Parts: sequence; C-alpha cells; structure tokens
Amino acid sequence: MAVTGREAPEQSATADREIVISRVIDAPRELVFEAFTEVRHLSRWWGPEGFTTTTRAFEFRVDGVWDFVMHGPDGTDYQEWIFWTEIAPPERITLLHGESPGDPNAFESVLTFLPDGAATRIEMRTVFPTKKLRDEAVEKYHAIEGGQQTLGNLAVYVTAIVRKGVED
Amino acid sequence: MARAATTSDVFNAIAEPQRREILVLLRAGERPVNELAQELGMTQPGASKHLRVLRQVRLVRDRKAGKQRLYCLDARGLRPVHEFTCGFERFWNESFDRLDGYVQDLKQARKKE
Repeated sequence: MAVTGREAPEQSATADREIVISRVIDAPRELVFEAFTEVRHLSRWWGPEGFTTTTRAFEFRVDGVWDFVMHGPDGTDYQEWIFWTEIAPPERITLLHGESPGDPNAFESVLTFLPDGAATRIEMRTVFPTKKLRDEAVEKYHAIEGGQQTLGNLAVYVTAIVRKGVED
Repeated sequence: MARAATTSDVFNAIAEPQRREILVLLRAGERPVNELAQELGMTQPGASKHLRVLRQVRLVRDRKAGKQRLYCLDARGLRPVHEFTCGFERFWNESFDRLDGYVQDLKQARKKE
C-alpha cells in the first residue's frame, strides 16, 4: 500500500459507522451536565418534541441503569434501557443504549461537554459496532421518525379544524 | 462472504477510504478512469475495480464517450446512507433543542435563587 499521508487510520476504522452530533448551549457546562443526572431533568427534554418518558428505575452512577419507556406522539411505546459506563462530571458521560438488560444490540455513545467561552459545546459520538446493529438502529429510528410524521399530520389536521371553526 | 457483502451493501462499499475519495472527486463531474487513477495514485485496474463496486451499489454510473468510459455520481445509492444518518441525527438534534430550552429555564431559575 502506498502511504500518501492523507489517511487517518484510527478514524477510518469507524468513520463509516460513527455519527457525531454536536450543539452549543449558552450555559455553563456544570448546568448542562446536570440536566443528564436526574430523572426530573431528563424527563423534561429527552426525545424529540411530543415525546414523553415513564421511568421504571434510575440510578446515575457507573454501572447504574435508567430503565424507561419512551412514548411517541402517535401512542407507540419504545422500551429503553441505558447503562452508564463512565461518569466524569462535568466533562464526559459514556453510556450503553439498548432496549433491555444485556441487549446484544446495545450501542455506545460518548457525550463530551466542552467549555466554549461562557457556553458549552456538547458532542455526542455514537459508534455502531456491527452492520446488523446499525441496521436495527436504522429501522428503529425510522419508526420513531414515522411517529414524528404522524405528529406533523396531526398539527396540520388540528390547524385545519381551528381555522374551520373560525370561519363557521 | 465479505466480497458479496461489499458489492450489495452501500455501507460496506463506502467503508473503503479510496472509494470515498473517488466519490469526492466525482462530485466535480464526469471523469474517465485513467484520470481518477492518476489523481489518487493508484493503478488503472485498481481504480476500475473500485468503480465496479461503486457501480454495483449504484453510487456511480458510467457511459461510453468515444473510446473512453466516463464515470459520474449516481445519487440513488446514497439515499439509504442519507436516510440513516438523518433519522438518527434528527432524533438527537430535536432532543438537544429541548435540552437547550430546558437548560435556559434552569439557568433562569438558578439566578432567582
């Protein structure tokens, strides 16, 4: 193999099955980090608009579990199981995300909280270890996005009804 | 086994860094194989082999122009990649929107305390 110098071997090993999502939040990172540490916080923002959660068990510590059900806006329930593998306040949280204890399809996400002036850059890096796992995540998130579609349809429907009511 | 998967699955096809480089080069427009090979510092048979894989997963198309064969991008094959990343990304982008809103509320509440 010719070495051209443009290759980053470590990155190319996972680049095709890795997703990185980042966001700058205008708040100190201690506060952003805190929003991950308790159910009363998590239940206020976890999932897209219209989603709610019901928690069965929650323990924010290494080897602790968050066992919950996520309710989609179209009434679909999703079993969720999160296992915290690393907690380094206020810098980093590593978690395994699956549907049940010992889920062979669980995948790992690393959340990093970086100071950005007075704000915080939060980065979520998810690596899917196998093709099978990735495909299943694709299917699941497609289903969830399907729920989003339903919500959009409902909004259109409700708006139409309201407008009709005004016109009558 | 592995060969079969590479030629039928777009995710496996683009796992190869040189194939991704070919796709990047083709974004600028149609190119013949010898130009692609030269630019990437690989042999022409090597480039042809990669192009064959990319064609099989419908990431590139080819057409004859005189003695040459020209290759261009075929976006149909990229759709599953795009849909996959968008579904997951949208889920988290929307969660982070809500996280942002919630943290702003927390910040206000803390100021009052």
